Amino acid sequence: MRKILLLLIITFMSPTLFAEPNLPKGIIKITPRPAPPLNLENMDGEKFVLERHTQHWRFVHFWASWCGPCRKEMPAIEKLIQKMFGLNVKFFIVNTAESEDTIFSFLGGVAPNINTLLDRDGLTTEAWKPRGLPSTYLVDPNGQIQYVVIGGQDWLKPQYLTFLRQLPILKNKNNK
Amino acid sequence: MYSLYSMCMDIKHFQVLSITPLMLLIGLSASHSSYAASNRQVNENQYIKMVVIPRTPQQMAAFYEGREFPKTAIDETRSACFFTTVIHNKSKNIIQHDYSRWQLNTDATTVSLISKQQWKQRWKQLNIPQRFQSTFRWTLLPEQLDFQAAEHEGGNITILRQAAPFDLVAYFTTVEQEKIKTIRMEFKNLRCAEDTPQ
Repeated sequence: MRKILLLLIITFMSPTLFAEPNLPKGIIKITPRPAPPLNLENMDGEKFVLERHTQHWRFVHFWASWCGPCRKEMPAIEKLIQKMFGLNVKFFIVNTAESEDTIFSFLGGVAPNINTLLDRDGLTTEAWKPRGLPSTYLVDPNGQIQYVVIGGQDWLKPQYLTFLRQLPILKNKNNK
Repeated sequence: MYSLYSMCMDIKHFQVLSITPLMLLIGLSASHSSYAASNRQVNENQYIKMVVIPRTPQQMAAFYEGREFPKTAIDETRSACFFTTVIHNKSKNIIQHDYSRWQLNTDATTVSLISKQQWKQRWKQLNIPQRFQSTFRWTLLPEQLDFQAAEHEGGNITILRQAAPFDLVAYFTTVEQEKIKTIRMEFKNLRCAEDTPQ
């Protein structure tokens, strides 16, 4: 009986994931939660930190070269980054636990303009708890994860571009 | 079509197209597909399509060698049977998956799945670097998950290597017309895959 009750509560009362009308396929609105820390270097040794309060939305994407959908999706993400340059979204592309040689040779073939961040030990990825790889999170300017994206998507389709461009610039605490 | 591609696994041709650890198994598809393909089992109803594919030790070793895993880790994988498992929520509702509701039985005894925690402990004992532990973790099927409508997930389930065949009964739950419904998927006579003699 307690099990059934628990299941009912999970199903009806705590919709961590819920559908929102007009979202492009694969994008799911979630109950906002703080983004875990992300403090990584890119392939040139430059440090990047996902700040709690900023002006931009953040597109945080976890990938690995052995992941088929990642391989398929990466060229679209490379072009998406170009199309969104200077707009409301910044990109944090994170490789999960692969060697620099592997990453370098993979990106050289599919998306040479992406300078990925390196999660060398995989612990940052673990902290974000993705459902699988690839996984994308959309983090609002106040550091809250607002959307998760299941699987790889064709980000160059108009519905995805429109969705990303229309993400609202929230009034964050630094702007008060 | 792109998103479909990204979210599904072409089981027939053994090319993993899906999210989660499963895509790992791209590396398995080319050279050893004939054995596993002939032993895969597919079970489908109106809610779920589920596929279970036994993997040979050689297949798994080849995959992890390709990921630069140390030899000690690869040798350890040989102690286990790997079954690539793909689950597709065909319904329009959330379907809940939890390993604890799965039953694996031989004629004589119950078989236990090796949990992620058990693998983690083993890797620690063997001093396997963290990055390989992380990659290995992504090759396993999630132990609990709320499957979204139309979502595919996949990954390996593992048991200690054994000769006896066993049955797997996986239970899932969903809510249909405000009632909890249990979905039962049964796979009979699963066997650990063996390497083919050279």
